[in-house]
This record gives sequence, structure tokens and C-alpha cells, in this order.
Amino acid sequence: MIELKNIIKRYELNKNDIVTALDDINLKIKEGELVVLKGASGSGKSTILSLIAALSKPTSGEVVVDEKKISKLPDNFASVYRRDNIGFIFQKYNLIPTLSVKENIILPLVPLNPDANEVQEKLDKVTKMFNISHKEDSIVRNLSGGEQQRVAIARANVNNPKIVIADEPTANLDEKLSLNFIEILRELKALNKTIVIATHDPLFFDLDFVDREIQVHNGKIIL
Amino acid sequence: MILTPEVLAIMILNVIFAFFGIIAFVLSVKIFLGWNPDSVSQSQYRLEKQSFLTATIIKYIFVVKVPLFLFFIFTLDKISNVLTGAMCAAGVVDATAYGTNLFILKIINLYLFAYWLVLNSEDVKHENQPYTKMKFGIFIVAFFLFISELVVEGVMFNSIDVDKMVSCCGTLYSSSATSAISSIFSIDTAVLLSLFYGNFLLIVLLYFLKQRYLFAISNLFFIIISIMSLITFFGTYIYELPTHHCPFCFLQSDYYYVGYLIYALLFMGTFYGLIVGIIQVSKENRDKNYRKSLIFNTLYVILLSSFVMIYYIKNGVWL
Repeated sequence: MIELKNIIKRYELNKNDIVTALDDINLKIKEGELVVLKGASGSGKSTILSLIAALSKPTSGEVVVDEKKISKLPDNFASVYRRDNIGFIFQKYNLIPTLSVKENIILPLVPLNPDANEVQEKLDKVTKMFNISHKEDSIVRNLSGGEQQRVAIARANVNNPKIVIADEPTANLDEKLSLNFIEILRELKALNKTIVIATHDPLFFDLDFVDREIQVHNGKIIL
Repeated sequence: MILTPEVLAIMILNVIFAFFGIIAFVLSVKIFLGWNPDSVSQSQYRLEKQSFLTATIIKYIFVVKVPLFLFFIFTLDKISNVLTGAMCAAGVVDATAYGTNLFILKIINLYLFAYWLVLNSEDVKHENQPYTKMKFGIFIVAFFLFISELVVEGVMFNSIDVDKMVSCCGTLYSSSATSAISSIFSIDTAVLLSLFYGNFLLIVLLYFLKQRYLFAISNLFFIIISIMSLITFFGTYIYELPTHHCPFCFLQSDYYYVGYLIYALLFMGTFYGLIVGIIQVSKENRDKNYRKSLIFNTLYVILLSSFVMIYYIKNGVWL
């Protein structure tokens, strides 16, 4: 379903300072698979996620998702692809602090211009699923870290995406909240979503529902 | 050299256009030569990024250039106030050896730039950007015409001598004039009007038959026949003077600037008509272009005919 072919990604800071984030990566992720990308900071995990989510383009090589060459998509089409297929959970949640929980969660629906009933139906579904329905009208900045993360997860899933991507999802959480997140992951996995997580949190290692753990080191996949 | 605020504005814009146009030209050549949509190489990804930047530069130049044509005519009209003998833009166009050529070049560029804009908008509607190579190839050609226009425009304004007497439109657009324009007066009015209305009816017929190439060709002829009939016949009814044939005077306030509307309708109608034949788009978009062409051309014909009818109703005679 997701395929990275001969991916090289370089960041050119200036003419003499070029960082190779990914060095000839090849990776296949099947539909419904839960993959954990492990590795130290700067190893290239987040870059892989951004390529799968079409947030950036490779320097060379190809990213194919459901037989669509997403690395070749022009920006306007990449946005549509992200909107329809990807739920992204960011390390720092990337919520809009001055908006309410409800407003943050339904944000990805706005470009689709759905009717109010459909919005409410989707909102109810995800807020119930991620146990945040009692905070729907609260302003996000007043929530705790764990609650903010549940809002971020609800937002990532409101469009019912096929692929869920999480970048260091437990970096700002204590152990109890991290374990809660892992339970949420288990539920998402049960919904047959393809999940890719980049983390160096040991809590994610050797979980029974994780299909594969992939070690990334200096821009390469270590087998 | 004549340097009114309008001329100065045009010259400053031309310098800006030339600067960005040269950048866009260099990038267009690189994209045109290296473009391979199937490649996943570093150079192709770089070209894809550059193509977005380049198309944006070109788009904004052309988006300004197209309406700037009307400002150019407005400027010529204003300059006519300071040239001895000139009554309207016609005198300014005739004041130098470059005026007529510049005017023709501007009209060609107007259609070319508008065509590029439509091609670009079609290109970005598709994931695989099917017109990318073509649009940059066309820009490479258009660039030379674009730069020629800027140069000739500068030379023309520089060559205008305010102390030199120029001819007025009454002299330039008359059957006794010695210019090429005068030859159109030798065509019988009845023949010309038959061609004008016949051509329009053909456009209507081809609209229903959906013959895209013939539709485009008939629009091309309609541009020429329309301008000829405007000068020889319809203009006289706008001025209500049988001897006045100027295609510029009705751009003035005395005629409520109706000329801008006339030329805008003619341009829009024929442009969308040409687009139907030139660009391969979805049936839905092609039908839209067909409709736009027919609507603008019809409004154009109605507007011109209304001057004749109103004159006849008011006076009971033809000119």
C-alpha cells in the first residue's frame, strides 16, 4: 500500500552545508499494518513520515501510496491527498489554542463543506471514541497535555483516514498518559488503519499489536 | 520623448516585467529542455519546484499585461491632447513609424498571453500537469514577442516629437487616405455587412454543431471582419457622422467610453472561440468556452447593431 523506492532526501542549508536525511531508503508498508520507526533524534524517522504524508518531496526516488505516485503530486493535489487519506498526530499536537475542542476537531472537514448533520455525526463519533466528548466546548489552551493529545488524535481521525501517522506522539506525556495513548493505538489498529509511528520511546517496543519495528539510523534502514 | 505620468507608469511596469520576464525565460528554457514527467530524479524534482515558481511569475506578468492593453490605449488617447493635429489615439499611433506595428504586435500578444493563462489554468487542474512542457515552450516563443513589444513601446514613446504636426483620424481613416487602411473602404458595405452577419450566424450554427476547429476558424475571421465593419460601417453610426470612421474616438468620454466595451466584448468572444479549437479540455470546460464565446460575440453584435437601429428609429434614414 505504501512504498518508498530509492528515496534520497537532502536538506540544502547552503551550498556547502547539505544534510542527507535519508540515503537510498526502500520500504513497503502493507494495508492495515502498524509500523514503528525507531531511532535517535536526527536519524530520519520524521522525514519518512513527512514523505508519506506528502508534506515534503524527496530529492530523488518515489513515494507510492495505493498505486498513486504521491511524491509527484503538485502541491494543490498533495493537499487533497493529505485531507482524504492522512491523519497526522504531531509531537506538539499543532492545535489552535484559541479555538474550542469541537472547532479544532472539525477543522479538516471545513474544506469539504459538509452539511451540519454530517459534521455533528463525525464529531460525536470521534469525541466518544477518544473520550473527549465532555470537553467539546472547552478552549484547547485550557486543557491538560493528555486531553490536548486526545483532541489531536480525534482531529486526525475525524475524516476517517486510511493512514494514521504519529510523530513522537508521547514525547510530551508522562508514562500513564503514554500508556493511554498506546491503548488508543490498539483501537485504531483494530479498525484496520495503516499506522506509522516515529518514536524513540521504549514503551512502543515489543508491543503485541505492532506488526513491525524498523530501526532508522543516519538516514538508512537497519535490517 | 514624451513623458506623461501614464507613459512613465507603463515604462516602469515594462522594466519590472522585463526583469521578471528574463528570469522566467531562463527557467522556462531549463524546464522545457529537461522536463520528463515520468522521471523521479533529483533534476526532475527540482524542475517541478521551479515550474511552479516560473508559472507564477509568468502568470502575474500576463495577468497585468492583458488589462494593461486598455491602459495603453487610454494613454495614447491622453497623449493626443498634447500632439498638434491629433484628435485621438489614432494620431499618436500614426505619429511615428512604430505605432502601427506596435499596435498589431500588442493585439497578437494580447491573444497569446491570454491563451497562455488559459493553458496554465488547465495545466494546474490535472495531477500529471499535461501542458507543462507545452506552456513553457509557448512562453519561450512569447518571450521574444513580449520583449519586442517592450522595446518597440519604449522606442515609440521616445520617438514622439511633440513639436511635429500629426494627422488626425479624419484624415487617416477616410477613403481618400493613402494608407493601407484606406483599401478597406473599397469593399462594398453590403458585402462587408453580409460577411459580418454571415460570419456571426456561422458561429451560432457551429456552436450548435459543436465543430470546434471550424468554430475557432470562424472566430479568427470574425476578428478581422468585425474590425473592418466597425471602421467602415458601424463606427459612423456610433459617431452619427457618415464621414467619421475612426476606431479610437469612441474610446473617449464624448462617447461614454463605449469603445472599451466594444473591444472587450470582441476580444472575449473571439478569444474563447479560438480557445475551443486550440486547447483540448474536458467536455464540460469546452462547453463553457463555447458558451462564453457565443455570449460575448452575441452581445458584441447586438451592441453594434443597436447603434444602427437607434439611429434609424431616431432619424428615419440610414447613413
